[in-house]
Amino acid sequence: MNRDLTTAQAAGLISCHSCHLLCQRTQRSADKICPRCGAALHDRKPNSIARTWALVLAAFIFYIPANVLPITTVISLGKAQSDTIMSGVIYFIHSGMWPIALVIFLASVFIPLLKLLILIFLLISVQRKSTWRQQDRTRLYRITEIIGRWSMVDIFVVTILVALVHLGGLATIHAGPGAVFFGAVVVITMFAAMSFDPRLIWDTEEAIYE
Amino acid sequence: MSNSKKDGSELKGLPEPEFRARKRRISIVWLVPMVALAIGAWLVYKAVSEKGPTVTITFKSAAGLEAGKTKIKHKDVELGQVVSIELDDELSQVIVKAEMVKKAERFISENTRFWVVRARVSAGSISGLGTLFSGAYIGLDPGKPGKPAAYFKGLEIPPVVTTELPGSHYLLRAASLGSLHIGDPVYFRRIEVGQMVSYKLDEDGQAVTIEVFVHDPHHQLVRKNTQFWNASGLDVAIDAEGIRIDTESFATLMVGGIAFDTPVDQEAGEPAEENDVFKLYKNRESISEKTYVRKNRWLLYFDSGARGLNSGAPVELQGIKIGQVLDVNLEFNVEKAAFRVPVLIETEPGRIRTIGKFPEGAEKQKAMDYLVEKGMRAQLKTGSLITGQLLVALDMHPEAPPAKINWEGSYPEVPTVPTAMDEITTSLTQVLKKLEKLPIEQIGNDLRDTVSGAKRLINSAELQQSVIALDQTLNQAQMFVAALNTDIAPELKTAVSNLNSALLQAQKLAKSLNSDVAPQAGRTLKEFQAAARSIKVWAEYLERNPEALIRGKSKSKRR
Repeated sequence: MNRDLTTAQAAGLISCHSCHLLCQRTQRSADKICPRCGAALHDRKPNSIARTWALVLAAFIFYIPANVLPITTVISLGKAQSDTIMSGVIYFIHSGMWPIALVIFLASVFIPLLKLLILIFLLISVQRKSTWRQQDRTRLYRITEIIGRWSMVDIFVVTILVALVHLGGLATIHAGPGAVFFGAVVVITMFAAMSFDPRLIWDTEEAIYE
Repeated sequence: MSNSKKDGSELKGLPEPEFRARKRRISIVWLVPMVALAIGAWLVYKAVSEKGPTVTITFKSAAGLEAGKTKIKHKDVELGQVVSIELDDELSQVIVKAEMVKKAERFISENTRFWVVRARVSAGSISGLGTLFSGAYIGLDPGKPGKPAAYFKGLEIPPVVTTELPGSHYLLRAASLGSLHIGDPVYFRRIEVGQMVSYKLDEDGQAVTIEVFVHDPHHQLVRKNTQFWNASGLDVAIDAEGIRIDTESFATLMVGGIAFDTPVDQEAGEPAEENDVFKLYKNRESISEKTYVRKNRWLLYFDSGARGLNSGAPVELQGIKIGQVLDVNLEFNVEKAAFRVPVLIETEPGRIRTIGKFPEGAEKQKAMDYLVEKGMRAQLKTGSLITGQLLVALDMHPEAPPAKINWEGSYPEVPTVPTAMDEITTSLTQVLKKLEKLPIEQIGNDLRDTVSGAKRLINSAELQQSVIALDQTLNQAQMFVAALNTDIAPELKTAVSNLNSALLQAQKLAKSLNSDVAPQAGRTLKEFQAAARSIKVWAEYLERNPEALIRGKSKSKRR
């Protein structure tokens, strides 16, 4: 890690988030606007840690009903069956379809939780101004951002099933309230990841400017 | 870090940032976890507030039940869900725990009943077909309000009648259940108006109490004096009255049924109340029989065979049933070394309308004594030629030898006469016996003697001589006739011609009479006629004027 790198912050410069125009940083504590595109100028994403915390907490709260409430209700021949995410996984395990069970478990249970835990870990480590394996932590953040959208697989499957399976009395599938909460968890987690500024990981040795 | 200001001065040509007014505020992002919290709190509140009571139900078997899936429904509305299914410690029954919804809390009481609804097929009905696809569920009947309860014993058979159904329950007492089952129909004039709900054996095991339910408008038909009878199956009776087949409906052929009616000859009584107790009669006939309260029992002794006489056979008087046979036995008299058949009968005097009075009051004893004195006897008769069933006929037999009622014994004994068949047989036997007594052999011998005597007579010489003599006599008679022919015939001829001429003269005389006397007679007759007419005129005049007899012909006519 090269300690002699000059950052924009250290050089008294601000890069516009939108058009990446490099501006001079002033000492005035008023809202700065990019002279070219008009976007707000910040050294770092504003209020990044607080926002991320808020969203992570919200995602955690929603994570509970998402897993407890039924995600689908299958009405087949008059027999209604409500399934939560975990009961679906268990159903697939019992019917011997391990790969599908694994996919659902990874996409719907493991990854959202993993993302939330990674974010919390990053937040705590940034707040503690930790210098421990900064590169690896940045990699974690990148993974979080990339895999985040794949958690929506479950929601897509439910949506497709609800739309396709309309066989009247034979079989109908309704989305359960769990689906809404699960979607909320995924979306909020993605927002949380977006609001987290990975540059904060590297700011440990400097004063944090906002 | 230390050279940051210097670097800034090197890039002096870059533009200065512009400024705009800034309002410091709490980051709006905190609203998101707030909202999440609010939603979470609402979910928790909803879950807690909607969580109804947990009930424990015991069943004999958990067939079709599934923890977490099986619902509890009332009128097909979900009221709860089975949470767990466990066996009890003795492994004798299944303990089902179910969570009810909040709304169910109000009406779950000690009277609430639970049962498993699954597809059931019985002879009368098919129910719960929907559960073939959707799986079994637990039915709930709220029952009457009562104390709240959490432990219930599940019914093995679904209740026939749920609480909210309008109508009335009645209790029927019967000697046996017959072919009745829970859910069997109750008929009124062959319309299905209710159902059998339950049955219970009395504690002493002597009778059965059957609970029936009659639906709303029809329960008004049940009166205090209504009679219920068992209409189960096909009632085929073969007895002295022939073959009778009776059924209430096709369904009762396979399943049981109960029918009720109020006797037509009685006035409809007060409307019956809920849970009133009625007697369940064996069948419809037994009702009309039981209407006669007064009953007399009599003992009859028959010497002849009583094949075809069963208890229950009718007792008839003038061909009308007045009672029935109660018991038929066989008795052996050691002293006389003879069998006889004692028959106990029961008569219902109420069936007979009495006109006039028996001498010395109408007491049963005296009345019967009087009747027997007049010739009343019991007799066995064939009721039906096809079935060969016998009946007891009480009839007047004035020619029967005098007899009296034997009032000693436990039942009064009415004298009997043999059957009509027996009578014929007896008289035939008597004739035969008399015939047997005839000295046929002797008669034969005598007859033979007579014949041989005759033969001897015929063959004797005297007879032959007399025959010859007879021949001679006949010859002489012939000669005599011939003489008559020749001597007397001519004289006879002249006599005839004389007679003829005499007749001719008589004819002439008559003719002259006719021509001379007849005209005179005609005139005389005419005068008679005129005389008669004038007498008639006079008589008529007298009739009109009777006074003329005294006064003479009056002149009033001219006036």
